[in-house]
Amino acid sequence: MSNFLQLLFNGLGIGAIYALVSLGFVLLIRAASVVNFGQGEFSMLGAYLLVVFFNIFGINYYVSMALSIVIMAGFGVIFAYTTYWPLRFRGGLPVIISTIGASIFLENLVLVLYGPSSVQIDGLFDADGIQIGDVFLATQYLSIIVIATILVVLQYLVFEKTLLGKKLQATSQDKEMASLLGIPVVFMILITFAYSSAMGGLAGMLVAPLLFVSVNMAGIIALKAFAANIIGGYGSIPGAILGGLALGVIETMGASYISVPYKDAFAFAMLLLFLMVRPQGLFGEKISEKA
Amino acid sequence: MNGLSTSIWRGLPQAGLAAIIAIGLAMLAPDQGYYLNILMQASTYAIAVVGLVVVLGYCGQISIAQAAFFGIGAYGVAIGTVDYGLNFFVAMLIAVGVSGVFGLILGLGSLRLGGHYLAMVSISFQQILTLVLTNWIEFTHGPDGIRNIPRPRFFGLSLQGGNAFLALCLVAMVLVALFAWRLKATKLGRAMQAVRDNDLAAATSGIDVFGTKVIAFGISAVLGAIGGGLFAGGFGYISPDQFSFAESIVLLTMALLGGVQSPFGALIGTMLLIILPETLRFLKQVYLAVYGAAVILIMVFLPDGLWGFIDDRIRRNARAITLPAPKLPLLSQTGQMGTEKVLEVADLAKHFGGLKAVDGVSFAVRRGSVHALIGPNGSGKSTFINVVTGLYVATAGKISFAGQDITTLSPHQRNRRGLARTFQNIRVFRGMTVLENVMIGAERDGNDVANAPAEVLTRALAALDFVDMRADAHRMVGELSYGHQRYVEIARALAGSPDLLLLDEPAAGLNMTEKVELGNLLKRLKGHGLTILIVDHDMNLVEQVADHITVLNFGRRIADGAPGDVLRHPDVIAAYLGEPRHEVA
Amino acid sequence: MQITRRGALLSAVTTFAIIGRARAADTIKIGVVTPLTGAVAEPGRIQLNSTRLAAAKINAAGGILGKQIELLIEDDASSNPGAVLAFSRLAQNQDIVGFIGSIRSTQMNAMAPDMLKLGKPVMFGGTDPTLTHQGNPWLFRCRPNDSYSARVLTNFCLTSLKLKKVALVHSTDAFGTGGKNAMLENLTKAGVTPVLVQGYTNNQPDFTPVVQAVKQSGADVLTSYFTNEPDCAIFARQLRQLGVRIPWVGSPSIISPVTTGLAKNALYGTYGIADFVEDSNPTAKAFANAYRAEHKETPDSGWTYDGMTVLAKAINDAKSTEPAKIREAILSIKKFAGVEGEFNFDKNGDGLHGYNIVSNNNGKIDYKEHIEFTD
Repeated sequence: MSNFLQLLFNGLGIGAIYALVSLGFVLLIRAASVVNFGQGEFSMLGAYLLVVFFNIFGINYYVSMALSIVIMAGFGVIFAYTTYWPLRFRGGLPVIISTIGASIFLENLVLVLYGPSSVQIDGLFDADGIQIGDVFLATQYLSIIVIATILVVLQYLVFEKTLLGKKLQATSQDKEMASLLGIPVVFMILITFAYSSAMGGLAGMLVAPLLFVSVNMAGIIALKAFAANIIGGYGSIPGAILGGLALGVIETMGASYISVPYKDAFAFAMLLLFLMVRPQGLFGEKISEKA
Repeated sequence: MNGLSTSIWRGLPQAGLAAIIAIGLAMLAPDQGYYLNILMQASTYAIAVVGLVVVLGYCGQISIAQAAFFGIGAYGVAIGTVDYGLNFFVAMLIAVGVSGVFGLILGLGSLRLGGHYLAMVSISFQQILTLVLTNWIEFTHGPDGIRNIPRPRFFGLSLQGGNAFLALCLVAMVLVALFAWRLKATKLGRAMQAVRDNDLAAATSGIDVFGTKVIAFGISAVLGAIGGGLFAGGFGYISPDQFSFAESIVLLTMALLGGVQSPFGALIGTMLLIILPETLRFLKQVYLAVYGAAVILIMVFLPDGLWGFIDDRIRRNARAITLPAPKLPLLSQTGQMGTEKVLEVADLAKHFGGLKAVDGVSFAVRRGSVHALIGPNGSGKSTFINVVTGLYVATAGKISFAGQDITTLSPHQRNRRGLARTFQNIRVFRGMTVLENVMIGAERDGNDVANAPAEVLTRALAALDFVDMRADAHRMVGELSYGHQRYVEIARALAGSPDLLLLDEPAAGLNMTEKVELGNLLKRLKGHGLTILIVDHDMNLVEQVADHITVLNFGRRIADGAPGDVLRHPDVIAAYLGEPRHEVA
Repeated sequence: MQITRRGALLSAVTTFAIIGRARAADTIKIGVVTPLTGAVAEPGRIQLNSTRLAAAKINAAGGILGKQIELLIEDDASSNPGAVLAFSRLAQNQDIVGFIGSIRSTQMNAMAPDMLKLGKPVMFGGTDPTLTHQGNPWLFRCRPNDSYSARVLTNFCLTSLKLKKVALVHSTDAFGTGGKNAMLENLTKAGVTPVLVQGYTNNQPDFTPVVQAVKQSGADVLTSYFTNEPDCAIFARQLRQLGVRIPWVGSPSIISPVTTGLAKNALYGTYGIADFVEDSNPTAKAFANAYRAEHKETPDSGWTYDGMTVLAKAINDAKSTEPAKIREAILSIKKFAGVEGEFNFDKNGDGLHGYNIVSNNNGKIDYKEHIEFTD
């Protein structure tokens, strides 16, 4: 039983990481219909910024995080202007490929600057974790679960309860209509990129103490986060969270009870299963009929 | 498919010539060493990249799993020859078959999924295959890979030597490239491009969209496996890390860099990406960053890749070509206006949740007549057309076409029975020429000329003559003005000799001059005896051409009869003067 | 002479060839295939520095057969196809007398057919035992192969630590699987059945399932073959978090400076095996000091230094650059002190037959013992 609980907790922890990264995906999908294959690199860059400010410049940890988040937001705007903006009228495929290009570019740029070795970085708290009976709750996993929850609630409130959120939603649903209503569509899209990038960066900073900081730290996580997104329901915020958590738990359980080497296969097999049986995911709207 | 094979056989002389050149080149290469290896790598990769040209370039379906198919081919040959002692070509045949089946299965995923979903499906397939290759040690030899993969004999001719095997690879590459090049100008190739450019218009032009996608995936997987099988023979050693996700991205970039619209682009892209890292070694690590940036720059500045850029220049200079034949008469299904009902709908309904967009409509269109369907905004006209052409599934009621119940048929099946349409917001195949657009209409299954390529061309030219657009036959349709694109759409429908032509608000978006021209065109069509169902607001236009008018409001039929009677009908007047309801569809 | 007797064209060709050979005779050319770019560029850099260090030292002492060594370097881009291209590019140069190959077994496997065709000696570091057992006479290994690493691990657990409930965690890549197979063979020979054999795929963000499996297996000693350093560090931390404290003996990655730097105290008290340990012999110490003096960092590998030195010695011994003679000379090298240990080449081309055991003493890597096999 304690084995099961331990697996469950750590599965939720890793799932919360997928969920966090997935949240960044969702926003871009919702606001700009962009599938960003460079989302993992947002996380990687965020983590490296933290390394620069905290490990190298010795700035206070929380201040370093805040600084990094701000820079990432700015980076999101640059990313939008270079990778998305020139291609925005050419459909989904060119943008997907250009984000793949961006991901290769960023990874190798950082590789040139920092080299391939992983870097260790401290966690949010000094304590390693809490022991409850036979189950160990790692602090960083707990923090990620808590922060992911807070962010989801915040994101929900912003989207559903504020004027800005309404405008963002209107933009994502119908850009032409939104612009007729006087919503600054371009600005809304840039905000989304900035937020998504900051969000990805934050996710990177939170996982950095667990996975260490390296150029390819987020590659597989981003892929699974995207899978989580589809499982949860393409473009759905609660779907991203539940999809992420479900994926984390299922792959941990699957690895433990079925096969460790095939661990990564569980995530993708689950994705394929969902796509075949329930493509709209757990929370997605039914893929609408087109005219 | 008949057209496909004849068209491809016609390429035989070129293929033979190219193959001889390839063999000659291979013999000039050194028998081992760097240049041999680099040519071997480039030619085998190029075959797989041509596969991407078919699925991504022609058919517009993203596949990030080409390295997986390449790997299936390589592993099939390796396992077959090393572990089971099979002949190289037998092993290759099996591998290609297996890969093709997986390709078809991946294609099945496109039934309900597009774009990013499909990308994710292919990535999943790629990841799972890598895990299987690594972990199923008993069968795949696991991470150690397989070594000492033998090279074959070919009809008594030994291909053990480097040159001989390179010759085989180059010949295969040339044949595959020619195949893909010819494919583009076949019925299947045009169908793929139509699916890529506009799947709804493709479906209503008689193309089995889903089937076409599945075939494209299958061809792509087969080509991937051929490349992989030759790769295994060429290098004699394979391991799972050579067929990873990263390699799929490399193959994808090769295709995009060279130009995904043409197999020649694939060859250029592959050569460049294999030679570039070799020549740009001085950039060291920065090379890959440059490469990533180049991908973005290519997408932004060279959307059609290097070959697209070159091809565009060639085409621009060669635009003078005209087709000298005399003006051709349009051969279309015509008939005397009579009592025969071409289309008959009974109690047709379409509900979206609680919203009854079409609510129990019945009427019939008689052969040879021009029948107008009018109504205020939101009265359900567009929904009605979409239900009749199969884009929406009817909630209730029955649609009969030429005496047959077509209520449950898919859009392309309806088109194959002779139901053609145009769209309110024009749907043409923007990546193709005017002539190609219209040929797609002419070669719909069920048309009398469907499987005779020469007659398809004649029929398409005749349709272009009818709308007076032959001079633009070789222009890209995207370059045309809105009004002319409308004519292309009409010509595409006409070329299919439909029994019934549905025109969905043909005057929408046209300026005054264009409207007058359209009116004249419709009158000529009417004079031709074609059966037409026209939907429009423009009463002026409708009055000029209609023999019969049906009026919808709030999804219901409020009037039906001769123009004079209907337009005086009090309900109709009320509907047009009353508050228009919010747009439905 | 020839010019007068043969046709002009032929004479031109011969002259060219003579000039070519004359130029080639100025230096002894050694081909080096190494990762300058890609995932393993970092260790590649250290390996290349070590090769250069050895070449410089030999050149300073008079070179090979009185000629200076010239290194011709090609990047393998950290990939198999890259390695094949890099080697074949070097292979074109007929003046090259020998090669320094790769530390990665899959790359060696990929290049092996071309190496066999070319027929010139290749010094390499990949540890897959089968590389020297596949009938390719031109491969000479300058690191102990995995059958020795597994024997050392087994010996250390059963004899030194006297623990018999062995758990084994291994990567499912070529290196980890090779190690696992060798471990199973050795354990079986010693009459021990491991209580757990657990593979994992590289680059995992979380090792909970593996740790739980170790925890539940009831093992009293853990052995491991980790390929990637971050994987080893993440596993170590989770292992300690989830309360597993049994002795742990790992393959070289467990004591690499990168891993110990990442995992910190989670790895204190563990043991590792290492082919290169600075304190294990005077030659290694001298090499490390020389390397530090030049590059201001401590090397974590010395096999390319040995490869270069052994190759030079063999050519000098053979007094010829003829491949077959060099091969003979390499195979007759016995009791030669290298930085990785004492070289005693066997008939297969394996130069080293033992490993060092080290321990992680609160972050400091201490040399414990060297275990050498003679069979």
